[in-house]
Amino acid sequence: MTSIPKTPSRYRSRSDAKTPLTPSVISAFNGISLSPKKRSHPADLSNPFIAKSRPVSPVKRATGGGITVSDSFQRQASGGVIRKGGIETRLDVVTRDYVPPTSQPRPELKRSRSTPATRERTQSTSDSRDRFITTRDSDDVAATLELMSLNPKSTSPGHTARLAAATGVPLNRRVLSYHEAPPASSSDSTLSQQRELARPLYGRPGELPSSTNSVTNKSRRIPTQPERVLDAPGMVDDFYLNIVSWSVQNVVAVALAESTYVWRADTGNVSHLGEAPEGTYVSSVDFSNDGSYLGVGLGTGEVELWDLEAGQKLRTMGGHQGQIAVLSWNAHILSSGCGDGSIWHHDVRVPRHKIMELLGHTGEVCGLKWRADGELLASGGNDNVVNIWDGRVGDVMEGARGQAKWTKRNHTAAVKAIAWCPWQSSLLASGGGTNDATVHVWNSGTGARLHSLKTPSQVSSIIWSPHKKEILTTHGYPTNAIMVHAYPSLERIAEIRDAHDSRVLYTAVGPAGDVVCTGAGDENLKFWRIWEGASVKKKKEGKERSSSTTRSGILSIR
Amino acid sequence: MATSQAPTRQAITLKGSTNLVTEFFKYAANTILFQRGVYPSDDFHMVKKYGQTVLVTQDLALENYLDRILKQVNKWLLTGSVTQLVLAIISKDSRLPLERWVFDVNLVDQPADSAEPQPAKPESEIQAEIRYILKQIVSTVTFLPIIDTPTVFNILAYTHDSADVPADEWVDTDPLAIEASKSQQVKLRSFSTDVHRIEAMVAYRYEG
Repeated sequence: MTSIPKTPSRYRSRSDAKTPLTPSVISAFNGISLSPKKRSHPADLSNPFIAKSRPVSPVKRATGGGITVSDSFQRQASGGVIRKGGIETRLDVVTRDYVPPTSQPRPELKRSRSTPATRERTQSTSDSRDRFITTRDSDDVAATLELMSLNPKSTSPGHTARLAAATGVPLNRRVLSYHEAPPASSSDSTLSQQRELARPLYGRPGELPSSTNSVTNKSRRIPTQPERVLDAPGMVDDFYLNIVSWSVQNVVAVALAESTYVWRADTGNVSHLGEAPEGTYVSSVDFSNDGSYLGVGLGTGEVELWDLEAGQKLRTMGGHQGQIAVLSWNAHILSSGCGDGSIWHHDVRVPRHKIMELLGHTGEVCGLKWRADGELLASGGNDNVVNIWDGRVGDVMEGARGQAKWTKRNHTAAVKAIAWCPWQSSLLASGGGTNDATVHVWNSGTGARLHSLKTPSQVSSIIWSPHKKEILTTHGYPTNAIMVHAYPSLERIAEIRDAHDSRVLYTAVGPAGDVVCTGAGDENLKFWRIWEGASVKKKKEGKERSSSTTRSGILSIR
Repeated sequence: MATSQAPTRQAITLKGSTNLVTEFFKYAANTILFQRGVYPSDDFHMVKKYGQTVLVTQDLALENYLDRILKQVNKWLLTGSVTQLVLAIISKDSRLPLERWVFDVNLVDQPADSAEPQPAKPESEIQAEIRYILKQIVSTVTFLPIIDTPTVFNILAYTHDSADVPADEWVDTDPLAIEASKSQQVKLRSFSTDVHRIEAMVAYRYEG
């Protein structure tokens, strides 16, 4: 009964496509030889209605509706043999005799091999097909095609495959994969090491994307908004200047173009300290160690000395030939870095103020810092050189020109950021400009380079945390960020991207060691609470008081 | 199935079309590998293709691997034996399929023997369609779940039984499917040449 040659497709569909019999099917066109396989099918072949009772896989049913495949394809599918190429297509032609009505797109699984050519099998869609043409194929095709559209309930090909395997129904396709596994990313050790060190920014550990575009470690929360913002109209966007200084008496001095202003953090008062003479501008400010005097460097090369209490200028010390981009105090000595690369020591007590000259730079001196104990002076210039000078002044050195104790040329851009470590006095950190963007940490005693940290943008200043073992760096192009790193691991703890709208150029840390003030060309002076001051625990009630005052607008920067 | 209406033209276009399709697979695979972070991003460099910059891997081993696979795919396309190409991204440790990028290969139905052969689809139009797909693949990053674990990929080819399969090079495998309850599918754009029609879809694992 199964040997009707006109419907060889039946046999084909029956025979497991995956079995080695398949080729022989093609050759043994009559298909009779395949019958043993189908005979073994449990379904009672003679009873057409068993087909109906066979439970259809509910999943398959679900896929019935949304078949987006073309109808012709569907017809093929119901035709029982879906092979788009090769010999089988010819058989498709044969089965077209039984083209089922296309109205019912959802043929169900007719596993039964019931032969009788009863056309009125109501259950089966393709009743006109009359053969137990297993619509399995169509389901299979339909099922996978189902995946083409958004239908979360559709079966996965895996399900289909398993189903197919379980029921012994052939799939019309094989799933192949290349025998080799894909190669792991090339294990060039240096390359992978580089990747470890220079991972893309988004891949860095502890980097959690946040809406404020800043990053903190999970354990460390740093407010990404400044605690306070002061308006600084006229603040220039000049990388080489150092126009912000914060004294131990909690007073912030800011130079805006030609005027110098003083802001008392305790009271919030702003006062205009002074003006530069006509035609010039203020290029640097620095408070003395005790905070009573302010040194002001001008574009013409003069250094003014102002008394803060009285608000008066005490003296003007001239002689320099270029702008004074940076100042640094050491007790009674005010050192000035000039645009021509020279560094002068001024003794502010005596009339002949210039007591020493240091010539070690061929470019403008933009970074200058005395070590806290006054033993050494570090300077960085536009010539990419970091010089560490012996701090003794006067005739002890041969002549008035001294030689730098150490000269470091590792940076490849201007070194403006210079900072001595407060807890380990021999450590000096220096940061380079756009081309360089690297922070180097040196041992000033041995001259060795201890650490190097590559940052994503030019380093405009470095601040060592007075109470924690961390380094804060501020940056310009392109991230305009404030970054906090652990020391000595130099692992990034936090980053505040776009802290300012333009390059963060001027930085000072408060006397309590908790708030950092930054200034930029966007004419804002922002105060960031980065660390906790050392005395915060003792002054809990002071804190409440202070917080209430901050709310009322008067500051208490703690 | 591509019956020859204009045999000479058809023959040329078939080969050209398969080359186009194979090339598309190469760039699509590279784009997916880059976007999903299967390989480190520094491995990729930009080339100009399809009128835009696309990222292609520089890793020689990976490039050779992909080339070998695609050479075979090309052969299959010529004979029309491959119906679907899947790039499955699976977790390296647990072998759990995380994403399946499914590209269906359909043969374009030539409308029954029109007297005139259909006007050839201009290459620029095909390129534009490919561009759209690649851009769309890149844009899927916005909704695809972030993959933190190291992953590997597998390319699966769904072929006909009759396909000529070099037995030593290709083996039958598990389709690496994502469980239906956990899978979300998004259909992407498609492109077609005169001979082939490629449809793209991405299925990703999504734990409700």
